[in-house]
Amino acid sequence: MTTGAVVQEQRDEPGLAAGPRALGPGRARGVRHLVAPLLSARGLPRWLLWTGLALTSLFVVLAVFAPLVSPYGFNQYMAHGARFPQQAGPSAAHWFGTTVQSEDVLSRVIYGARTSIEVVVLAVCFSLVIGVPLGLVSGYFGGWVDRGLVLVNDSVFAFPYLLLAIVIAFLLQGSVGGGVVTAAIAITVVYVPQYFRVVRSTVLSVREEPYVEAARALGARPRTVIRRYVFANVVQSVPVVASLNAADAILTLAGLSFLGIGMDPSAAAEWGYDVSRGIADAQAGYWWTGLFPGLAIILLVTGLTLVGEGLNDSLNPVLRRPAHRRPLLPAPEVPGAGAGSLAHEGLTSAGPGLSLPDAGLALQGGAGAVGLEQAGPGQVDGRGAASPVIAVSGLRAWYGTERGPVRAVDGVSFQVAEGETLGLVGESGCGKSTLGRALLGLLPEGTSCDGEIRFGGRDLLAASAAEMRAMRGPALGLIFQEPMTRLDPLMRVSEHFAEALKAHEPDISEQEVRERSLEALGSVGIPPTRFTNYPHEFSGGMRQRVMIALALVLRPRFIVADEPTTALDVLVEAQILELLSQLRARTGAGLLLITHNLGIVAESCDRVAVMYGGRIVEQGPVRDVFAHPQHPYTEALLGSTISLSTRTLRSIPGAPPDLHQPPPGCRFHPRCPLAMEVCRALSPPLVSRQGHSVECWARTPPGTVPPGQDARLLIESGSVADEA
Amino acid sequence: MASTSGSLRRYLLTRLALVVPMVFILLTMVFVLLRVAPGNPIVAALGGHLSPSQLAARERAAGYDKPLVVQYGEYLRQVFTGHFGTTLTDQRPVTQVIAQNGAATLELTVAAMLVALAVGIPLGMLAGRLRDTWVDAGARGFGIVIYAAPVFFLGLLAQLVFGTYLGWLPTSSQASVLVQATLQPHTNILLLDAMIDGQWGDIPNLLAHLVMPAVTLGLVISGVVVRLVRVNVIQAMKGDYIEAARARGLRERDVVVRHAFKNALVPIVTVTGLQAALLLSGAVLTEETFNWPGIGNELIYYLENRDYIAVQGIITVFALAVVAISLLIDFINAWVDPRVRY
Ligand SMILES: Nc1ncnc2c1ncn2[C@@H]1O[C@H](COP(=O)(O)OP(=O)(O)O)[C@@H](O)[C@H]1O
Ligand code: SF4
Ligand SMILES: [Mg+2]
Repeated sequence: MTTGAVVQEQRDEPGLAAGPRALGPGRARGVRHLVAPLLSARGLPRWLLWTGLALTSLFVVLAVFAPLVSPYGFNQYMAHGARFPQQAGPSAAHWFGTTVQSEDVLSRVIYGARTSIEVVVLAVCFSLVIGVPLGLVSGYFGGWVDRGLVLVNDSVFAFPYLLLAIVIAFLLQGSVGGGVVTAAIAITVVYVPQYFRVVRSTVLSVREEPYVEAARALGARPRTVIRRYVFANVVQSVPVVASLNAADAILTLAGLSFLGIGMDPSAAAEWGYDVSRGIADAQAGYWWTGLFPGLAIILLVTGLTLVGEGLNDSLNPVLRRPAHRRPLLPAPEVPGAGAGSLAHEGLTSAGPGLSLPDAGLALQGGAGAVGLEQAGPGQVDGRGAASPVIAVSGLRAWYGTERGPVRAVDGVSFQVAEGETLGLVGESGCGKSTLGRALLGLLPEGTSCDGEIRFGGRDLLAASAAEMRAMRGPALGLIFQEPMTRLDPLMRVSEHFAEALKAHEPDISEQEVRERSLEALGSVGIPPTRFTNYPHEFSGGMRQRVMIALALVLRPRFIVADEPTTALDVLVEAQILELLSQLRARTGAGLLLITHNLGIVAESCDRVAVMYGGRIVEQGPVRDVFAHPQHPYTEALLGSTISLSTRTLRSIPGAPPDLHQPPPGCRFHPRCPLAMEVCRALSPPLVSRQGHSVECWARTPPGTVPPGQDARLLIESGSVADEA
Repeated sequence: MASTSGSLRRYLLTRLALVVPMVFILLTMVFVLLRVAPGNPIVAALGGHLSPSQLAARERAAGYDKPLVVQYGEYLRQVFTGHFGTTLTDQRPVTQVIAQNGAATLELTVAAMLVALAVGIPLGMLAGRLRDTWVDAGARGFGIVIYAAPVFFLGLLAQLVFGTYLGWLPTSSQASVLVQATLQPHTNILLLDAMIDGQWGDIPNLLAHLVMPAVTLGLVISGVVVRLVRVNVIQAMKGDYIEAARARGLRERDVVVRHAFKNALVPIVTVTGLQAALLLSGAVLTEETFNWPGIGNELIYYLENRDYIAVQGIITVFALAVVAISLLIDFINAWVDPRVRY
């Protein structure tokens, strides 16, 4: 059954539990949600939906106005005193021909629509009335009630539905008679379990929504909660099920009538019955008596299915298609278009900014570096002598979304030297992961990138997709945050290794695959006995070790580790970090270690870059930055971290900016205690000294801030802090 | 690995234990339907034809006047001892109906399921992979329209085209009369029986009879399979391990085939099992259309003849078949998915 299928998809996937995503209370307004998908659906879903609605309404109109539309009655065989011809082919008088009893086939098809719609409307109403309350009760009470109801429903659901309907129709024929109601009851019993399932899973998932839990925590009675929040969600998912069920119900009714059960043929026209009679006709060459009712079934069922699928497509987050329009990147904010070209002592060389136009232009356009050393602090610090493995400059990565571009990475420059670890810190949503993926060319479709990523003498952003693929693994490695889900559950660890090695070294021998894999596993402390295990046989920490070994076996020269220990407990975290630093020392690879844990940075990194709102706002040698933080955000981060332990950054008031519409000027200004007028208007220039650089107006040399722009912005930062 | 096989055994035993309540619920459902619901089978079957006193006598003879609990116990005893009685119409033991006609249904449904998977899986994979292209639109369109077609209507068209018009295939029954007469019933599955006795010459005849019903039913079910596979592929493509595989520089084709498709197929096993209801329902209609001597065909025959003993036996067998299929699915799952064995 179609609906069974949909329901099953939902049941298998916890994320999909309610099909359509649960709605927040603010948007919980039932009826509007019934029509919302019609208006908001785009592309294919929209097309499905409208075609389906057109087909369905055609038949509904036929059904309602059957006496007006139909040329004759469904069992009328004569008019104006003359009997219709018998088994006459389609003609002007009888468009669809006539039957062996001289009935007009077109009229039978039209009245058949009436019968189908009547039965289906009744059946859907009955099922709703029974199934929805049962589902609510089951999901709401849980426990034994729930388990019992689920068992019974599953059993009914598993039973061949047509047989069930046959038996019920057969039994009712004796007492109720063979009419619309009998057929509707027979079909109802079949479809109740489906409403039950959908409603129950909606209730269950809504119960777990954060806002419902919050409401409960605040003391709202559970019943109120369910009534208020479940309703909106049920109202949204029921139309999907109802339209798909209606489609199935038409087929079931046709099947019943085809078998001669349920509907009394003298009482109403029914398509399935006509098709069954048409079989004999067709073999004798009278194809029209069965063909037209059969086509009518297909059209109406297709129409209803399209409505259901279209609704499902536009409501179900998994099926909803992400926007794939790449955002257009405007010209980057020009470095040096700052508020004047000012030099002061300590600035080593003149950047391009010095040659750029005046402050007037900069006030509209943004800011740039104030006199500069060569971008790339890595070169001037202690280890700067080593050549950079990777050098990024002016990198931007914007996601295309329905709301418009999300400026996740917005002009970032840094370098990582051989054997060096650069820590990348910042609150969630600052663009760290996006940056890491951008380096490997792993951003989703519909993302725009520009700038430059120098690696091994070439610009990775200019490389073709095939070239990037070949480099991922042997040149560039990525270690993910969640080790639990990153290995294919159906493949043994050994198969993962063999697959990765063979992808890059097609001629490698089985022997060598084995040796290298075991060596890599050994280096992360996994014994050879575990080589052929499945991922689920490992703990989280072990899996992360496997992931690291899997990255290392290809011997990359540069590795991005995106919060590799966030999902692990502290003890395991220390082991993994120790492992990473040993391996880096041995292989000489450069490492970009993304984390929001400053303790990890202090222990494992040579230099640190602090990211905020898509930009690196400060970077430099770890000791330098931690001892003398320049950017107010860095200071806040350090302040929020008690003794560099594993605390996260939550204690900074306010929240990171929405990168869809980041604040103008300095992105930190709504939260910054030092914010000035200028911060609101202009991006701060980059100031760097001895490999320690910062983007902040408050750290610019005296006279950089345009006159009159240095008034404090106390109110604004206060208000944001209050909001938070 | 000893522990793995031990946990596998434990898993299967648990599943077996869970089957018990399902069997009872289904049997109870059948019992309630036939005995407790208004209008018992005798009234339904003979209501207009016999006087009230004759009806009462019949009900007494069938034990319908005893307390429900006693009747229920009686019914369960019948089921578990395999004594379903003898049909009223033609005095066949119900078990024989089940064995002979059930085998024909098994043959038809297995063949239909193979067709459904062979058509549905590749189409669904293509559609999921080439999402929102014309291939996807075409595959989804096919899935929706083919599913919207009543199986008996498709059967009618097929009979017209391949039987009446082209004359390529027989339009009715399971084998020609001659073949049927020469086959020894070992399994009652005619194809198997022919193979067992080495009557290879009969196999083309049997296949010719099987093709149209199996393809017709299979195509209808493939409509559901296409949609399910498509959704699963889309979902699997979002898996974390897919991104991780890309990060190791695997070719996109390998990522899709080895990781996405394989993982997409695991839930298909379960979902295919759930289509058993659809399959068996469709089989009743297909058998009727093609005059296939399956158990559904018999059910309709006995219904028309108001033979409630036969109806009760056949419905009970369907209930047990549902349970058997769900067990089978669990076993297949355990075999396909290493996590289940864990
Ligand atoms: N696939 C995506 N499509 C659109 N926006 C995204 C996507 N992934 C992340 N974002 C947005 O980009 C911003 C940066 O996200 P991310 O790079 O994950 O930050 P971090 O790793 O620092 O937490 C966030 O605002 C996030 O909502
Ligand atoms: S002082 Fe201005 S530029 Fe510096 S961080 Fe605060 S808001 Fe940004
Ligand atoms: Mg992240």
